[in-house]
Amino acid sequence: MSFNTDVVIPDPATGQGVYRQHAREWLQANLPDHMRSDSLNYRTPTLQESVDWETALYKAGLAGMTWPKEYGGYGLSLREHLAVNKEIGALPMPESVGSIGKELAGPIIMAVGTEEQKREFLPAILSMREHWCQGFSEPEAGSDLASLRTRAVQEGDRWVINGQKIWTSGAAKARYCLLLTRTGTVADRHRGLLMFAVPMDTPGIRVVPIKSIDGKESFAEVFFDNVTVPDTARLGAPNEGWNAAIRVLSIERATNRMYRPWRFEGELKQLVRACKSDPELSKLLQESYYQRRIGQIACEVDGLKGLIEKVVDQLMAGETIGAQGSLNKLYWSECHQAFAGLAMEMVSLVHEGSSELAKRAKAHFTNAYLFARAETLYAGVTEVQLDIIAQRIMNLPKESQS
Amino acid sequence: MSMDEDLRPEEFAEAASAAVGDVIGREFAEVASTLGGAGLLGVCAAEEDGGMGLPIAFAVPICQVAGRLRLRFPVVEQALVAKALAGTPQAAELINGERTATIAWHAEHQGMAGHAPYAADCDWILVPDGDGAALVARDAVTLTPHAELDPESPYYSVSLESAPILQRISVQRYQALREEAYLLTGAYLNGAAQGALEYTADYLAGRVQFGRPLTAKQAVRHHLARMKLLNEVSLCAIARAVETDEFDATRSYKTAWAGALTNALFVIEKAIHLNGGMGFTWEVPLHYALRDARRIEAALQGSATINAIGQNFIDAA
Repeated sequence: MSFNTDVVIPDPATGQGVYRQHAREWLQANLPDHMRSDSLNYRTPTLQESVDWETALYKAGLAGMTWPKEYGGYGLSLREHLAVNKEIGALPMPESVGSIGKELAGPIIMAVGTEEQKREFLPAILSMREHWCQGFSEPEAGSDLASLRTRAVQEGDRWVINGQKIWTSGAAKARYCLLLTRTGTVADRHRGLLMFAVPMDTPGIRVVPIKSIDGKESFAEVFFDNVTVPDTARLGAPNEGWNAAIRVLSIERATNRMYRPWRFEGELKQLVRACKSDPELSKLLQESYYQRRIGQIACEVDGLKGLIEKVVDQLMAGETIGAQGSLNKLYWSECHQAFAGLAMEMVSLVHEGSSELAKRAKAHFTNAYLFARAETLYAGVTEVQLDIIAQRIMNLPKESQS
Repeated sequence: MSMDEDLRPEEFAEAASAAVGDVIGREFAEVASTLGGAGLLGVCAAEEDGGMGLPIAFAVPICQVAGRLRLRFPVVEQALVAKALAGTPQAAELINGERTATIAWHAEHQGMAGHAPYAADCDWILVPDGDGAALVARDAVTLTPHAELDPESPYYSVSLESAPILQRISVQRYQALREEAYLLTGAYLNGAAQGALEYTADYLAGRVQFGRPLTAKQAVRHHLARMKLLNEVSLCAIARAVETDEFDATRSYKTAWAGALTNALFVIEKAIHLNGGMGFTWEVPLHYALRDARRIEAALQGSATINAIGQNFIDAA
């Protein structure tokens, strides 16, 4: 694989469409055919292939748009971030293998890290030299992170960490873990929470893969047994760091992977094209039932685009977005589950004699359907988002007002 | 376009709220003259007719508020006819609210047209036909009410017979009107849903059962949160529909409309449920929102529109 990384990054001030046009042209010219999920030549990319691809994306100005230049970013606005995401979504490319770093660790380090930490970690995240994993959830603390038990005890200028994390994506490939611990006891709830950047090769860390519903082992349990890190691994002070992280995460929930509705639209096109390529499946497209379902999904995708663009407008206008991210999370996850259900229903007709594109679609959408079971869980489970909307957006009282 | 560069559509929402709130419950003609006097019927109509000549986006918050406050007046139809009749004497009279107009949304066929809301109250009716649309006087046609859905405000079939044509608009102009109708009725629908949600959330916050307000119950809170989500989705989709993309490409209003219709029906029906037995009564006004939503669905053919969106997607993929 080779990519054109000798590109001139356009100045968005020269025209409102120039950055999106740049993204469109570069992506179309450089996305390898075997990485396109709608290609008959598709194969699951190796980790190195994904790293090479994402490194090239970064060099082409299509990652790190909003990060400051001094930390390796391009110093651009959310408008360019959105424009690039629209084009990333429009092509059937692999999901990022560096998303924990780019969407979670990076923004948190930017908010609470020391200057030294920012210079050490941030450029390496964007250039894909170092991967991160997320050590938040625990067996007894899923949605309720205030119940977490992993404990950090200060001993001089070091911290000793003991505990267990679960659902840690990409733990096996990660260079660092963004680890959430507590300095006191479980009774402290939200008080005393403390974050660290823990190198994954530190003695005492054990990674046990979890096989997920889609047959992959991308999750893991991670055990911390007397893991000792220097005080320089600490991200922010106890309480302070986590509170800042919560604020960052509420924005991230609304701004990361903005490409989703454009990707969902692309997937719907892929499904339709696959059906058109096959005599049996093409009959489905003439049925009123499927026309209606496709029409409904097109409307939902349109609404999701609207939600995302509103967030960009608000943030660009200097407004706070509050819990808006919960609306977005709830809507995209349920829309995509519904779409994946429709796709599964349609590709269930594919058999050995079906067209090659239809068979490719069956492989892709079966996997997408299975993976979609996770979408209403990760990044904020549905019921918690409903609680947040009721509490923070609607201010619905739980006690009598009189 | 004469729009002040600093003027924004949402600024009309405040003026619209005050004016629409002021006319709720008043006589039909008085509603027209008051809204006309407040400038709300000619926001997008031609300046030479007395309108403000603003883009259609400026009528969106007005229609949203009208839906939210359950205004019993064809505000969408009057605004669209006033705009479409640019340069005619009738346009000026519609803009200032001296006269009123509605639209028969189902085109003329063998002398009959259909789905004209508030037709018996209006002075004029715009009737689409094969050559665009014709404006006729209500007194010159025979109206047949259809009161099954809304006995207080039926919609009407219009028998044209040999009614004189007062004005005619071209096919292109009628098609533009109809496209804009999707936007404005979409805003009205979403406003109706917003009003139903607000009414219901207020009621449940004050309704104490089992020692606490019903909004303390998780099942109720989650229903309301979903209603809020869908209402917000429609608001954003409608706002998006009037914007161009990075390459100045315009967007169809039909998708936002179909989404707003689906979401509004969910919100309003759920609102009636959450109001318990009272939601089923005539006294609680949520039924007006439901009737409006179903009337608009029938007028602009919701089911067929959603299928057409699907068919267009299939064709373009």
